[in-house]
Amino acid sequence: MKNKWTLWALAAVLAMGFAAAEKVHIMWSGAITGPTSDAGKYYAQGIEDYCSWANDTGYVAGVEFVCETRDDQYNNANTLRNFEEAVDRGDPVFLGYSTGGTLQLKPLVQEVGVPFIPASYHIGNIDPPDNDYIFLPIASYSEQVIAVLEYIAKVSPGAKVAMAIHPSPFGRAPVEDAKKAAKDLGIEIVEVQEMAKGLDYTATLKRFENKGVEYIVYQNVAGPVANMIKDAKRLGLKIKHAGAHYAGGPDLLRLAGDAAEGFLWVTAYYMPHEDNAAAKFVKELGAKYGRPADTIESVHYPSGMLAAGIAIEAIKEAKDAGKKISAESVYQALLQMNWPNKLAVGPVTYSKDDHVGVDQLRVLEAKNGTFVPVTEPFSSALFRKVHYGK
Amino acid sequence: MRNPWTRTGNYKTSYAQDTTIFATYSEQASLVVFLIGMLVLPRFLSRGDMQILDLILIYALAVLGLNIITGYAGLINIGHAAFLGVGAYTAALVAPYLPFWAVLPVAGLVAAVAGAVVGIPALRIKHLYLAIATLAFQLIFEWAVGHSPALEQGGAMAMPRVVFLGYKVGFKNHHYFWYYVTFVVLVIMAFGFRNLLRTRFGRSLVAVRDNDRAADAMGMDPGRTKVFAFALGAFYAGVAGALYAYWSRAVVIEDYSLMISIKFLAMAIVGGLGTLVGSFFGPAFLELLDINMETFSYWIKTIYNPPGVDVGSAIRPLAFGLAIVLFLIFEPRGLANWWRLLRSYFRNWPFKY
Repeated sequence: MKNKWTLWALAAVLAMGFAAAEKVHIMWSGAITGPTSDAGKYYAQGIEDYCSWANDTGYVAGVEFVCETRDDQYNNANTLRNFEEAVDRGDPVFLGYSTGGTLQLKPLVQEVGVPFIPASYHIGNIDPPDNDYIFLPIASYSEQVIAVLEYIAKVSPGAKVAMAIHPSPFGRAPVEDAKKAAKDLGIEIVEVQEMAKGLDYTATLKRFENKGVEYIVYQNVAGPVANMIKDAKRLGLKIKHAGAHYAGGPDLLRLAGDAAEGFLWVTAYYMPHEDNAAAKFVKELGAKYGRPADTIESVHYPSGMLAAGIAIEAIKEAKDAGKKISAESVYQALLQMNWPNKLAVGPVTYSKDDHVGVDQLRVLEAKNGTFVPVTEPFSSALFRKVHYGK
Repeated sequence: MRNPWTRTGNYKTSYAQDTTIFATYSEQASLVVFLIGMLVLPRFLSRGDMQILDLILIYALAVLGLNIITGYAGLINIGHAAFLGVGAYTAALVAPYLPFWAVLPVAGLVAAVAGAVVGIPALRIKHLYLAIATLAFQLIFEWAVGHSPALEQGGAMAMPRVVFLGYKVGFKNHHYFWYYVTFVVLVIMAFGFRNLLRTRFGRSLVAVRDNDRAADAMGMDPGRTKVFAFALGAFYAGVAGALYAYWSRAVVIEDYSLMISIKFLAMAIVGGLGTLVGSFFGPAFLELLDINMETFSYWIKTIYNPPGVDVGSAIRPLAFGLAIVLFLIFEPRGLANWWRLLRSYFRNWPFKY
């Protein structure tokens, strides 16, 4: 009889606990189908799993996260609809995706004052105007490209470089900064080529060869990059290849095979095959939530986790500070964030004037079918000078 | 005996009567009731619903333009989103200096000029070749914007906030305000569309579509008619583009891409090519289908989500493609034909012929 009453009391306490748990909605709007969905689907899974992990472990006491990953099909009208729905519901933070969608939403984000964490690392997202509430998880594409140029200048002084970019604001974002940095670094950008959706890049590559290009630096997604480096291998060119975050990674290895050997890739994320806490955490979560190997291997999986992690961490800090969870309290928490996360090579730090989370990057090289780091984490020495003039 | 409220037979004895818009008072009355219903509709809809409704109305305006070019004049146009884009970028450039009600016609006129230029190849080529020419315009537009620093190279150009007669448009009232603006513009332009076939130019469009050599022999100018069709259709698209720019608060190249052009064609086909009501039905059907399939795909994910195959996500784009294919096979005249059948059924209801 006594046991029965104890059980009832325990159930009542648990029920009260559940009843007291505050539901906090976090919405992501991105491409699970349509253009760039090869990255978006893994990114979404990273968000879902990190949220599930936060709920399962009770990471934020008294808070139950309801994370929605919406497929906007890379359509800005859908992104706008999703964002406004989140704002109407009172979501304290929103996770975005594409460059176009984020740039389009900038005036609205500024108007409604809801913190916005995109998957696009376009520097224009956090440049004025309307830039108070947008926070990049890691260093921008511009900083990534300059970082890889700094590495190239170090290993091949005076090198001739061509840039192969996506024909969009996403692709063009780092070009001007890269040109300025190249001058300071003593290397030459001989051509900037927008990569059409072609399957054969022979003409472009032969032109690069004739101009004496030693490195091609890509600001693109892995698919077209894989096609170009396979063509370069087929043509027997000695040109080396390098790229920013979305250009490389395990997806590139899968698409390009041994043609990717020697590819220099700059990113802020750890790789799942590394022997560290980040890799262990990613693999554990992937296994726990039944993700296949290609998800766990993809760099977009931890990228999604980091975006969700930043949002959840900000909510936790707001909650710990005794504030009501709202867009304003989460915004204030983000401005003071210094989160030594498990997923990237540096801490996520923000301030009023710095909306870049992880400032450090690493250059990795494809060797025997995996990306291995060839530098320690570092911050670009030139980026702030060429972009902000300081 | 003729009943002015319903059709009891064909009493038309003159050409003017034959071209009349309203055959009976009941048709006039039903339109008035419909318009009043549309005016009070926002009172019953949430802000989120209004957002979707706005988008449908803006797309309806664009599809009206496409129906002039492709539906009336029979000129296949795969670059309609580019006309929309010309209007949107014009709006972004002039909006800081002009009130919004002046921006709309300016955007339409600039797009009309672009349309006339694109229509010039129609003087020499037609059918698939003309379709490729419009596709070229779409690609040239995207390339030109992408390489124009004045247009932010396709990045966002923010639209200014609108203040109209002291009424400031912000987040809460944004979609309500633009609903009424779009509705008024759409009614005016739909009225123009409906009357187009009552004019000499409008009848020339159809004549040239059906047989341009016969139209030529009858004294019409097929070349000028085709250029006129492109210019007028692009004007509609340009105005729609300016409205879209205000509605979305910023102009970004991705909103005017080839995929959007294809979407407009799909809307025109599903709605019913060359029909007024089809221009409303097509956008409404495809937009609401997409939203409902989104909800359905999430529901599918909750009940059936096998590892390795994302069935739920796949259903949504599949539904879009399937809808177009099924309409092409089973109802090529589109939803407008269903509307026609429905109206004829109820015309003398409960009596039958």
